[in-house]
Amino acid sequence: MKKGGADTARRGSGLWLQGLICGALVTLATPTALLGGVLLLPSVLVYFFDDSEGRATLRAVLLFGLAGSVRPLLALWTGGHSIDTSLSLLSDVTVPVLAWSAQGAGWLLAQAIPLLIRVALEGQTKVEMARLRGERRKLAEAWGLPAHPSDEGEDASA
Amino acid sequence: MSMPPAKPASPRTGAAAPTPPAAANEPLIAGRYAVDLNRPLQGAGGGSAAYAVTDRRDNRAGLMAVQVAHGAPPRLSVFTALAELSDPRLVVPLAYGGVMGREGRLQWFVVCTAPAGPPLWPHEATTIRPWNDADLVARVLRPAAAVLEMLEARRQTHRGLRPGNLFGDPGGSGPITLGCAWAGPPGYAQPALFEPPYMAMCAPSARGEGQIADDVYALGVTLLVLALGRMPLAGMDADAIVRRKLEQGCFQALAGDARLSPMIADLAGGMMAQQPEHRPTPVLLSDPSAARARKVAARPPRLAPQALEVGGIAVYDSRSLAFAVARQPEAGARLVRTGVADHWLRRVLGDSTLAGRIEEIQRIRNSEGGPSDALADARLVMQAVALLDPLAPLCWRGVALWPDAIGSALVADSVDATTRGRIEEVIAQEIPFTWGLARADHCNPMLLRQQAKEQRALLRQRGWAGGLQRLDYSLNLLLPCRSKLLSDRPVTRMRDLLLALEALSGREDLRTMPPIDREMAAFIAAHTEGKLDKQIAGLGDAGEPEDLVIDQLSVLAELQKRYKAPALPGLAGWIVELMGPELKGWHNRATQAARQQAMAEAVPAGDLSAMLALLQDKAAREIDDRDFAAAQAAARNLDIRLARLRASSDARAEAATRLGQEGAAAAGLTALVASIVAALLA
Repeated sequence: MKKGGADTARRGSGLWLQGLICGALVTLATPTALLGGVLLLPSVLVYFFDDSEGRATLRAVLLFGLAGSVRPLLALWTGGHSIDTSLSLLSDVTVPVLAWSAQGAGWLLAQAIPLLIRVALEGQTKVEMARLRGERRKLAEAWGLPAHPSDEGEDASA
Repeated sequence: MSMPPAKPASPRTGAAAPTPPAAANEPLIAGRYAVDLNRPLQGAGGGSAAYAVTDRRDNRAGLMAVQVAHGAPPRLSVFTALAELSDPRLVVPLAYGGVMGREGRLQWFVVCTAPAGPPLWPHEATTIRPWNDADLVARVLRPAAAVLEMLEARRQTHRGLRPGNLFGDPGGSGPITLGCAWAGPPGYAQPALFEPPYMAMCAPSARGEGQIADDVYALGVTLLVLALGRMPLAGMDADAIVRRKLEQGCFQALAGDARLSPMIADLAGGMMAQQPEHRPTPVLLSDPSAARARKVAARPPRLAPQALEVGGIAVYDSRSLAFAVARQPEAGARLVRTGVADHWLRRVLGDSTLAGRIEEIQRIRNSEGGPSDALADARLVMQAVALLDPLAPLCWRGVALWPDAIGSALVADSVDATTRGRIEEVIAQEIPFTWGLARADHCNPMLLRQQAKEQRALLRQRGWAGGLQRLDYSLNLLLPCRSKLLSDRPVTRMRDLLLALEALSGREDLRTMPPIDREMAAFIAAHTEGKLDKQIAGLGDAGEPEDLVIDQLSVLAELQKRYKAPALPGLAGWIVELMGPELKGWHNRATQAARQQAMAEAVPAGDLSAMLALLQDKAAREIDDRDFAAAQAAARNLDIRLARLRASSDARAEAATRLGQEGAAAAGLTALVASIVAALLA
């Protein structure tokens, strides 16, 4: 209960800090906030729906989103940092599509890489188990030991 | 073995008949004697059935086979002691063995030399012409005494002297021949008339070896019977004859008022003395005048003026009292326990010394147990009989026997389960020693003690190497093996047993059971004199079937080696079949298969020791056991690893998720850095 309470307090203070930063960003750097907000819209959506541990999906999506947003933001900052420039950049459809695609790719990787790793691990385990079972079967045959239960199951199913 | 001189042709013995050729697989005794069951020899067996015999090896003439009663094996000692003997005055035992009879039942025979002439007392005759003194001395007494002297020198007794078992020469004027007394236990075929009363009161199989004085006694009765030409006390049963002999004295009881020549009366009277040491020796009998002159003054029994009644029998002297107590053990025990007997002995008979001894055992008995203690009563009766008549045999709960006849008494066909149980008690309680102590002047108690202890040890020995069955064979070395498997095969020697088992191995119905059964085990234990007791005892243990087969094989292999038996491939195959397809004693399957193969290859050679060595290779077994333990440990380790792998599925999923997410984050970070660098460079 104590730990849960501490987590809730930390989350609450984090939320407050995020709100403060966002508010400051919108107030002090409105063109950047506008451009960033549009380009990182998928990350914002993931922020609300990601329930993975440590928000790992959000992290990947956000990093890819930032990677896809570096060039437009740099262009905004070097192009006068105005609302017009921001809208001009957003009016180029390739800019948001590229940023959103990058975030999509980030989401995809966050989903696919664990799956691939798991497939690889399971495969490796199966190979190992087959090897051990083979050794066990050889021992049983050579010394008249009882078969391993899993082997008996295999025999029965066969 | 020396041969007796060839006898003239005799239709009785079939000696002159030409030897027919031996038929294939003809059953032979001792590998040479063929018994012709179609040619019985009337009267030649002295009361037992006798048949003509053909010697297939040496064509020896003048032989016969005397049938042995079931459960009455002959003495082994006479075969060794008389083996080299060649004496026309004695029917000499040559061999012992069994052949299949007409009824499909094994019959046992003692092959011996055949008497040349007819018996002195024809079969079923009631009277004969009385013999004169000269013929009795020259033709009967002197030759018989000479033979008894020779037997005594060889530490043997005859125990079959009677007119029906003495044979004249064909001419009817020469010395007589002592007939076959070897086809049963000592005195087995003797009527009570010809036995001293202390032998006659025992069952025929329980009379024991006795001493040469007992043969002198029988010879004395024989002289008397031949001189009278009739059987005295004819029609009386054995107990009545014994009682009459004890009450009146043997000579008086038999001769009565008959008219006898002084010489025969003196000789027979001396030879029939109650005390064995009062009878003349065979050496003395060879000089009848000297034997006649030697008169030992035996004290006549003290007679009481009033009788004591024991179970309906009125007795007047201590010997008769002993006999009555022995025959009526319950009534006798009551008399002794309640003090009636010692009172009668002291007050009526006037023998205070004997009364004091009886009183002493009565006192001990009453201090040991209550009136219902049957065992204490039996012990009391046994001691009372021994004290009242020290010449009497051991009497235990109605059974009278001499300690050296325990063996033959145990196996006699006539012995019922109750009597067998009584004899078992005698052995279990070491009664012969107690009996010997009560009559120490007439025996060696220490020797009896040693024998009693040995017998008790065998009785108490556990497993198949002990018990009554072991005693049956240990005390009767010529008792055929009574295994049901061998019902049609004569087996009295170990070598015969192995050959019989080899022959039995062809029977498919037997090959599912181990070759050695309980009866055979006892037989083997007795004939190997305890050297295989340890292995044999294990045969009766209910263990793993394969262990049992190995135990059987070890016994059989030892026997094959010890008795130099030929190859036994049939028996070897029987054992291999019992072992089954797997040699369970070995763990490694490859080793099992190799040993099984080697066992199968060893079968045709029939070498049981080689097969046993294959199964009991100690060094290889140790290696096999050690490797098996290692294999078990390795299997356990593999099982644990497999279980761990199976149980780690969730952990793998979690690791995959964690690694995947970190990978995705790393890729995103890389992309971000690359993007920033690219943007800056651009």
